[in-house]
Amino acid sequence: MNRFALVFRLPIIVWQGLFFLGPLFFMIVMSFFLVKNYRMEEAFELKNWARMLTRGYVWDSYWYTLGMAGSATLVATLVAFPAAYALAFRVSAEVRRWAIFLLIIPFFTSYLVRTFSWYVILAGSGVINAGLGTVGFGPYTMLNTPFGTVVGYLTLTLPLVVILQTVALANIDQNLVQAARNLGCSPPRTLISVVVPLAKTGLIIAALFCFILSFGDFVAPYYLGGSKPPTLPILIIDTTKSGQQWPRAAVVAVMMMLTLFAIAATAIWLAYRRRIAS
Amino acid sequence: MSGRIATGLLLGWLLLVFVFIFAPIVASVIFSFNSDRFPTIPLGSFTTHWYDTIFADAEIGEAARNSIIVSLSTSVIATTLGFATAYTDYRYRFRFKGPYLALILLPPTIPLIIMALAMLAWLSWIGASGQLWSIIIAHSVLTAPFAMAILRLRLHQIDPDLEAAAWNLGSSEWRALRSVILPFCRPAIISAACLTAAISFDEFAVAWFVSGLNKTVPVIILEIVQGNIDPQVNAIGSLVFLTSMTLVVLAQLFFIARVGRA
Amino acid sequence: MKDPLVVLSGVVKRFGTFTAVHRLDLEIAQGEFIAIMGPSGCGKTTTLRMIAGLETPSEGEVRISGQVMNDVPVHERDTPLVWQSLALFPFLNARENVEFGLRMRGVDTVERRRRAMEWLERLDIGAFAERSVDTLSGGQRQRVALARSLVTEPRILLLDEPLSALDAHLVIRMQGVLTRLQRELGITFVHVTHSQSEALAMADRIVIMSEGRVVQIGRPREIYRTPGNRFVAEFVGRNNILSGISRGDAIETALGTFPAAGLPAPGRPATLVIAADLVEISQAPRDGAIPCSLISEEFVGATVTLFLEAADGTELKVQVPERALGELNQHAGSRYHLSWPADAGHVLTET
Repeated sequence: MNRFALVFRLPIIVWQGLFFLGPLFFMIVMSFFLVKNYRMEEAFELKNWARMLTRGYVWDSYWYTLGMAGSATLVATLVAFPAAYALAFRVSAEVRRWAIFLLIIPFFTSYLVRTFSWYVILAGSGVINAGLGTVGFGPYTMLNTPFGTVVGYLTLTLPLVVILQTVALANIDQNLVQAARNLGCSPPRTLISVVVPLAKTGLIIAALFCFILSFGDFVAPYYLGGSKPPTLPILIIDTTKSGQQWPRAAVVAVMMMLTLFAIAATAIWLAYRRRIAS
Repeated sequence: MSGRIATGLLLGWLLLVFVFIFAPIVASVIFSFNSDRFPTIPLGSFTTHWYDTIFADAEIGEAARNSIIVSLSTSVIATTLGFATAYTDYRYRFRFKGPYLALILLPPTIPLIIMALAMLAWLSWIGASGQLWSIIIAHSVLTAPFAMAILRLRLHQIDPDLEAAAWNLGSSEWRALRSVILPFCRPAIISAACLTAAISFDEFAVAWFVSGLNKTVPVIILEIVQGNIDPQVNAIGSLVFLTSMTLVVLAQLFFIARVGRA
Repeated sequence: MKDPLVVLSGVVKRFGTFTAVHRLDLEIAQGEFIAIMGPSGCGKTTTLRMIAGLETPSEGEVRISGQVMNDVPVHERDTPLVWQSLALFPFLNARENVEFGLRMRGVDTVERRRRAMEWLERLDIGAFAERSVDTLSGGQRQRVALARSLVTEPRILLLDEPLSALDAHLVIRMQGVLTRLQRELGITFVHVTHSQSEALAMADRIVIMSEGRVVQIGRPREIYRTPGNRFVAEFVGRNNILSGISRGDAIETALGTFPAAGLPAPGRPATLVIAADLVEISQAPRDGAIPCSLISEEFVGATVTLFLEAADGTELKVQVPERALGELNQHAGSRYHLSWPADAGHVLTET
């Protein structure tokens, strides 16, 4: 290989090796370190693992986080689908382009500020309850509930899910849809047995991204969900920031990575599987 | 006409989804000009008080300076790394290309909180945490994939004979890169630089963990939000939004419009 | 050949396990217009790219003006190529495209501009000098690509099917431009094409390649009238090819025995090639003529090719002028009789 090619290939390997693989690898190693007198010591002990895996609150967090991220994924998928369907099939290409551009905007607004906005909107004396109050309803408690958490998760993920679903649906070969209609398939049946299977890969990938983002988010469950119970990311923050228990935080992080890896592998397998077993 | 009704329902639903997505953004801009400390309906009076306080706040000024340094440096490094990988992917075939590409493309699939912990631990282990450039390093890793994706898309549009034509007309590989590949990619390079700068400007989780005392704007927001209800957040958020949108619109003008045309 | 400009000796090019070019030997003279022709995948473009240095031979040598070029990098060769895609730089205007090679050679701005304009005018596109190449027509782009390659006054110009994307009437015009330039400049043109009309119309010599090997080299008329083997007979022109056994002064085939010259010793296998335009056709039976029935016809304007079938199933082709068709009053299944003069047959000794 000549020097020219190396100049383009090597730096990235070194850089990502040092600052991407390095940190992740070190984190795994660190989960076996010990902390004494607020100082981390190199060791190879299973103590952190033993401690974290035997604590009930860790498992409570684990299942709660999994459940909340899973619910958010389900809700986001169902809420986004009709919108994506409308964008893919019921508007002009021009409108679709603009809509997608609009959907990109939220990525460049601070997620923290948007969450803070929801906090103010959803609060007991906030905009929604004040509005409902004038017509004699409420007030409803929306903050510090799972509902608040899901609203936060959707704030983070919904634009991306709509975009990915729209792209998946818009890329469907329209001839196949028309062929189905021509063969006597009713519109609802066409949707279920032709459109959804054709867009399957994109729909699953969208859901997977939604899950990954929700699973790793600490802002929504903390500010809108009231951290009752704390999710895994909140657990990582608390463990890291107070008491310098980085190795224990690393245990939680590795648990999250393994979970995500298993879910991503399953999702990708489902997304790209050729035949649908029936 | 059941088709008409279905279309109406779908478009109505689409509108609701957009309302949900944009409600917090619009609300935050409105609240930033609202006199109430805790905004509700009916709204209080118009004020620029919250903007005045943030402009008077030295800590926020310092954070803004830090944010600008971090996002500009990140965009330079990430765009360079992204270009090198995109070009390698475009031009060469080699063994282990899959792992090579995964190395640069995977970071966005790892939750930020995990990257934050891993970066904090590793950088402090090698004695590189708590600095402004700690954030720059971390952000470059996180944003390089986006630069890579944009540049790769652009290189996908190039006539593969173009570079060879330059060699054939007497350019060395370096010269051809400078006189053919770079000019061809220029809109995408500007676009990638804007995009990576915007992402870096907004990122708070990793920055919060590795920054130590060198806070960026999003980290300040995080700290304010953790304290009381303070509409300063809305004012800062609106300004950050303005900055990021400027970058995105620039990116759009330089790149997305071109892709659309080609 | 005395002092050839380009010599390829024993050149082999492998891509992984696939061999694109097998032991190629070829000499190209100074000032010659040579066409390399063959079906796609025959190795013609790979051969051209090896001359340009865009591919490195796996074995053998490429010499230009006596110098071994194998390790000379592309940009130091001065072997400009006119690309099939034209490969005009989209971010430069027409004049800047033409200036590119001069810029790489460090020619100063004023001189560069003068020489570029000179070439643009020579190719009748001076008026478009400042236009973006995206706004030019196919023919104009072609001329910009040509000017860009010739502006450095090379000894050799390589052409990789540059005319393939043009409309038919423009192809003829560009063929005229190319032959005129080549005569005026007196430099070597190596033109790769799969179009026999281009090769036959322009080249001094034609190299026919098949599956990575040269199968015949010759002047256009030689290639057309006396194909060296069955592949060339099938690829060039429109020929009837009959396998048979030599009887000394005649060849015995499934359709009958025909007198022919140049046959091998009696009893040896041989092949008789009769060009479709030399076959005579009539409706009335004639002595020694082969009775056939019409299967289909291909109408390309001034000439029409009729496809017929003999009693034993052998397919035969006849090319007739379109105006002669009226007399034949043809329709599918019509019966005809075919024959050809004894000197129309060309004998291949290989089978």
